[in-house]
Amino acid sequence: MTIDPLYLVQLTLNGLVLGLLYALIAVGLSLIFGVLEIINFAHGEFLMLGAYAMTFMLPVVGLLYAPALLAAVLITALGGFLLFELFLSRLGQHDFERSILITIGLSIMLLHGTQYLVSATPRLVDTELGFDGVAIGDIRITWTRLIGGGLALAAFASLYGLLTRTPFGRAMRAIAQNREAALMVGIKPRTVARNAVVLSTALCGLAGAALAPIQLVQPIMGQFLIFKAFALVIIGGLGNLPGAIAAAVALGLFESWIGGFFEIIWQEAAVFLLMILVLLVRPNGLFGRAIVRAG
Amino acid sequence: MAPVPDIVLALEGVSAGYGDVAVVHDFSAALARGSITTLIGGNGAGKSTLMRAIYGTCRCFAGHIRFDGTAIEAEPPWQRLARGVGLVPQGRCNFPRMSVLENLLMGCYTLPAARRAPAIDRVVGLFPLLAPRLKTTAGNLSGGEQQVLEMAMVLVTEPSLLLLDEPSLGLSPKTQAELFEVVRAIARTGVTILVVEQNVRGALLISDTAIVLDLGRKFLEGPARDVMVDPRIRQAYLGGTIGQQPAA
Ligand SMILES: Nc1ncnc2c1ncn2[C@@H]1O[C@H](COP(=O)(O)OP(=O)(O)O)[C@@H](O)[C@H]1O
Ligand SMILES: [Mg+2]
Repeated sequence: MTIDPLYLVQLTLNGLVLGLLYALIAVGLSLIFGVLEIINFAHGEFLMLGAYAMTFMLPVVGLLYAPALLAAVLITALGGFLLFELFLSRLGQHDFERSILITIGLSIMLLHGTQYLVSATPRLVDTELGFDGVAIGDIRITWTRLIGGGLALAAFASLYGLLTRTPFGRAMRAIAQNREAALMVGIKPRTVARNAVVLSTALCGLAGAALAPIQLVQPIMGQFLIFKAFALVIIGGLGNLPGAIAAAVALGLFESWIGGFFEIIWQEAAVFLLMILVLLVRPNGLFGRAIVRAG
Repeated sequence: MAPVPDIVLALEGVSAGYGDVAVVHDFSAALARGSITTLIGGNGAGKSTLMRAIYGTCRCFAGHIRFDGTAIEAEPPWQRLARGVGLVPQGRCNFPRMSVLENLLMGCYTLPAARRAPAIDRVVGLFPLLAPRLKTTAGNLSGGEQQVLEMAMVLVTEPSLLLLDEPSLGLSPKTQAELFEVVRAIARTGVTILVVEQNVRGALLISDTAIVLDLGRKFLEGPARDVMVDPRIRQAYLGGTIGQQPAA
């Protein structure tokens, strides 16, 4: 088999963008785990929520990308707010089992509710940008992918600034590092937990909205991703945000390469096989466990 | 007429614990402004639980906790901190992946921005060993240094009531003596202190009052120098040296 270098670069670029968008999901999952000590199994449905919000907002705003994306992020953040206020805030500190049941239950309800409301048919989403793109020589990348990757990078930079420079973000790291010490210095755990959930779901909504014009939008899209994202969080080292980002980018690249050179049917199995191997070799993840480490 | 003592903290029939289980029962006491009180009791007697009840990090089932005359038992910890109640809990209680300076900044979490830098300067002056360590990651400090850092993190808010749960744990005898000196100096500035100490003798030496807790109930209360010579206390808590052990 000869490998066309152009094709490889093309796959790499696509994989990079996909990986950055996965990272948005994994980072949110990791943040919620750090602050609330739970795994939000409904996280994937927020990706779907963001994607459908984008799908339905685009025609409303005349296919304009930016306002539709902004609306989608806000709608998902509102969903996160409700998730916290209605469900997660009622969990006690050692309610891990209840948190699993609640978030899995919510995930299933949201998934089937959406199928009922909008049907399971995958949708192709069009924006003002269409399938235009930039071409450098024979390598071509669509604007929607380029913007998606750029938005993810901007989101990580803002998140880093938030977590290290603002009291809002420092409080999240503080709770993740030592809950009792957080109470000692006067932090309100409930407020910080709510902020973490809203922020994480907003990041997930951003990923969904950015993915909508790139991939098919369907109710099941979050389910495909949540277990991958969960694995990424563990591979990156539980609570280790840069680790989760690195693992997600690696996954995006790997998926893109596998998908480009082998039949698509192998893609999912290969991804999970690789992740299982990594975890067998490095049980604490590639980058070690950390407690919401920003840098 | 005898002067009315200025009571900062009054506990009236307090029962406190976790879940549905009370650990401390019907506990009453009053702390005068600027005094140092030692809470003595065996392992599991409920000393830490009582401290948490005063700060609001465990449940208070019955009774009143009055701080400066106001009942605070229903308030969350951050409101009590804003009133001037500070608790340095037992065990490791800092942010291990943040630098010492960041930890001190977290201590200032409830302070307005303008007050943070002077507050940090003040506590670093109080604990000079922190000065060369400001950039060190807290988790890399020695146990004693971390203990001092944790006290500093609470002192930045200038609490008027300071609750110290086993502050000298893990400190060398020399640093223990220094710590007791600092506690005494803080009390001289008018801060009221309630301390639980594994070094009972050292704590009694700087205390005005001692309260003995047994199985969650008050067993004895009196001036520290009287409690120190009480045969029951000597036997149970001060028999650290063989010479003082009663014949079996
Ligand atoms: N977080 C907790 N949840 C439930 N029970 C606790 C908790 N902390 C302490 N206890 C129980 O309360 C009792 C008193 O503990 P504590 O107040 O820590 O004692 P002391 O500080 O005097 O050693 C013990 O029986 C302990 O098992
Ligand atoms: Mg204790």
